[in-house]
Amino acid sequence: MGILAINRIYAALSALVLAFVLLPLVAIVWVSFFANRILSFPATGYTFSWYVRAWEQEAFRNGFITSVETALVAVAISLVLGVPASLALVRYRFPGRDAIQTVLLSPMVVPGIVGGAALFMAFIELEVLLDVEIAGTLPGLLIAHGLIALPWTVRLVTASLVGMSPSYEEAARSLGAGVLTTFFRVTLPIIKPGIVAAALFSFVVSFIDLEKSIFLVGPGRTTLQIALVSYLEWNLDSTVAAVATVQILIIGALLIASDRYARLARAF
Amino acid sequence: MSGSAMSAATTNPGGATAPPLNLPAPGARERRRLSPAFGLAAPGTLFVVLALMGPLALMFRYSLNRFVPGQMMVEALTLANYQKFFADSYYQEVLATTLWVSGLSTLLCLLAGFPVAYFLVRQASDKWKGRLLLLVILPLLMGNAVRTAAWMVILGDKGLFNAFVSTLGLSPVKLMYTPTAVVIGLVSVLLPFMIVTLQSIIEGIDANLEAAASSLGASHLTTLWRVVLPLALPGILAGTMLCFILSMNAYATPVLIGGPSFQMMAPAVYQQVAKAMNWPFGAALAFVLMAVTLVLTTTANVLVQRRYRRWSE
Amino acid sequence: MSDVVLQSIVKRYDATTAVDNVSLNIRQGELVALLGPSGCGKTTTLRMVGGFIPVTEGRILVGGRDLTSLPPNKRNMGFGFQNYALFPHMSVGENVAFGLQMRKLPKADIARKVKTALDRVKLSHLADRLPKQLSGGQQQRVALARALVIEPDVLLLDEPLSNLDAQLRNEMKLEIRNIQQQLGITTIFVTHDQDEALSVADRVVLMRAGRIEQMGAPDDLFERPASHFVAEFMGVTNLLAGTLESVGRFRLKSGEVVAVPVAGLSGDLALALRPERVILDGTDEALLANTLSAEVEFATYRGLVIDYRVRLPSGVTLIARRPSPAVGGPAPLSPGRAVRVSWQPEAGTLVPV
Repeated sequence: MGILAINRIYAALSALVLAFVLLPLVAIVWVSFFANRILSFPATGYTFSWYVRAWEQEAFRNGFITSVETALVAVAISLVLGVPASLALVRYRFPGRDAIQTVLLSPMVVPGIVGGAALFMAFIELEVLLDVEIAGTLPGLLIAHGLIALPWTVRLVTASLVGMSPSYEEAARSLGAGVLTTFFRVTLPIIKPGIVAAALFSFVVSFIDLEKSIFLVGPGRTTLQIALVSYLEWNLDSTVAAVATVQILIIGALLIASDRYARLARAF
Repeated sequence: MSGSAMSAATTNPGGATAPPLNLPAPGARERRRLSPAFGLAAPGTLFVVLALMGPLALMFRYSLNRFVPGQMMVEALTLANYQKFFADSYYQEVLATTLWVSGLSTLLCLLAGFPVAYFLVRQASDKWKGRLLLLVILPLLMGNAVRTAAWMVILGDKGLFNAFVSTLGLSPVKLMYTPTAVVIGLVSVLLPFMIVTLQSIIEGIDANLEAAASSLGASHLTTLWRVVLPLALPGILAGTMLCFILSMNAYATPVLIGGPSFQMMAPAVYQQVAKAMNWPFGAALAFVLMAVTLVLTTTANVLVQRRYRRWSE
Repeated sequence: MSDVVLQSIVKRYDATTAVDNVSLNIRQGELVALLGPSGCGKTTTLRMVGGFIPVTEGRILVGGRDLTSLPPNKRNMGFGFQNYALFPHMSVGENVAFGLQMRKLPKADIARKVKTALDRVKLSHLADRLPKQLSGGQQQRVALARALVIEPDVLLLDEPLSNLDAQLRNEMKLEIRNIQQQLGITTIFVTHDQDEALSVADRVVLMRAGRIEQMGAPDDLFERPASHFVAEFMGVTNLLAGTLESVGRFRLKSGEVVAVPVAGLSGDLALALRPERVILDGTDEALLANTLSAEVEFATYRGLVIDYRVRLPSGVTLIARRPSPAVGGPAPLSPGRAVRVSWQPEAGTLVPV
């Protein structure tokens, strides 16, 4: 078999696999415009009305708002905790560095359901001990989502720190800059792309989380993903598709933006 | 090996730990001052310890408690919950289902992911490689809820697939609420991980090695088998582990596409902890799940490492 | 063993043409060097012959057989890679055996042939080592043994010496030439180093921008460059632009008129003059015909020789090379000193610009 034939086989297989991966995305966007009252194929016509209906659904609207709030706070938590930690991991050598690295990345490894269940139990235990409500509250959700976002931030920020030669910082220090000045005037501007990518990516992983949140949402305080799943348990119609399409657009835009700052593939 | 794009694939093939960060090796530049580093790392580390490690420890303790209906949990120090798991054929079946669904999904990911990764590295131009990789990652991050909904639209009894099948004049196929549907759903979410991991390891294999094999008379398949495969083994292992672990822990896909009668471990944990309120048993399930995953991935890791070490170091 | 024929080979990538209409007949047993600067298409040509890059247009024939569309594994060619491309997960012996296994030879034959091949490169004692445990020179030998053990029709070598240090390079150069002659194997040798090409090849093909600029025996290219580019690439440092005034009379751009050999050329030309042929303060002026006065600008001491840059009154500079006192040459000249510059008319070659 010639090289060209082999190349063509790979290209064809890749196209097929890519189509499979993208099929759900395309299908749900398509369906969101169906005019059919009950979801079925083929379309009897096309309409935007499902988007209006989706927004009118309180569960989706509130879920969306909660998700955005939660994700923003999660980004803040992950940056405040993750950027200094990354700096320590990359620029310093100290006993226990490997252990700290393992701890910081562990939220990625522990299954979402297991971590969520553990957090849920701990919250209930604390509620009993302290006589305050945590499990169904926003702070409880925020802690969980900070945990989701942190390892990704550490990953992306360390990657850009590793790619930055320490000589820049050494040059700044030799020119008389203090530690903080060096960080804010030299390190931060240079790794800014990594930080922006980390922020955007953290937002996404928090926004789409389902497994951890499922234990921690309370009545009246539900994230969009939980709202979607509870809706899906009983119905499947174009309202869900409209919500999904909006979510795909938002996440797609965020990912393309963050890919401009740092190659996303290296987060995995 | 530069850049952390490689990290997932090379330095630590899977195991139950996250791919390490590819930190610089100790060298002349290292600074031996302790205090600033600890100060910088402490808040984040403390947060994870308090919000994850602590609760996990607590949950492990709970798994040794006794469940009394109506009373929830009674303090005890018993392995009864674990014994119950291994004595109950229902849960053994849940574990078996989880294992075979994960194994099959992982295998399919490997088979489907390799050609794409190979294509991206060896044939696509740099510009297209970036775009295609992004296209691979996008669906991954659309979220489990949305992706599952999409598969419901496609696989439902009156879904896209059956609509297509009936235009061909064939009778509709029951897919929704079958293990097949779950595997399809899982493969679609795990494939991107596999592709990205394989892509980074193939990137590290000198294309001249393949050219050499070929000029020595090896067909493309022989070259893959005798040259690419052995060299890509650590990456294949890393990707395989990742997919396997993720599908062992899958929640949304089995619940929504598998239907009520299809049980896997993660949904069972949720069921016990949040619905049945049987915390001790739910906790035990969670730890069985983690332990089984850990044992399997570590074993595979050791087996592959043994073959790989000879020439890799 | 076979002859190799390249018929109007073209390789195009989207907008660029990497190899543009290259035709070449290589006799059986001949060693041809493809020489040229990086990006000239020499490696692309070699990889097309090896079958790693599909040909856009043209044909490749080996022993009369058209191989153009055959994949590399059906071509029976030995390929030596610049980085050797030894399989890192196989021992030296396994590397050499690989091609024989592909040919499904009996185990005993494989063992025997591997032994012979490793003996030939004096490495049989290292058969169980892994490639990374060998030095660069040893790796190169293994690569050579691996390429030759399959008894290829053609041997293709891509910059085989570029990763070795100077001394080893000389040694390997001789060894490659030696083995090639012993086996009488048709060989294409890609290099960017003119010295390497001249000393190893039967015939040198100089490429530029995807085309063959000149080909011929080493002394042809060295002594009779057909163009400004060839002269420059072959290390002629004095290239003086000008035009022919009459037969044998050449007027430099700067005004001087000098005697040159008779050549059937016209238009804008350059006089190519090797620095070794430029004589400073020569005595037998009858032989030297062209004599101009000049001033030494500066001297570069290079061990065996000293290079002088001299400036003519018109401002044109020339390089003259003289043996250094270390090898019995005359005493060095100091900058600023007035000298007479001369050369024999036949020492120069006219080339089109």
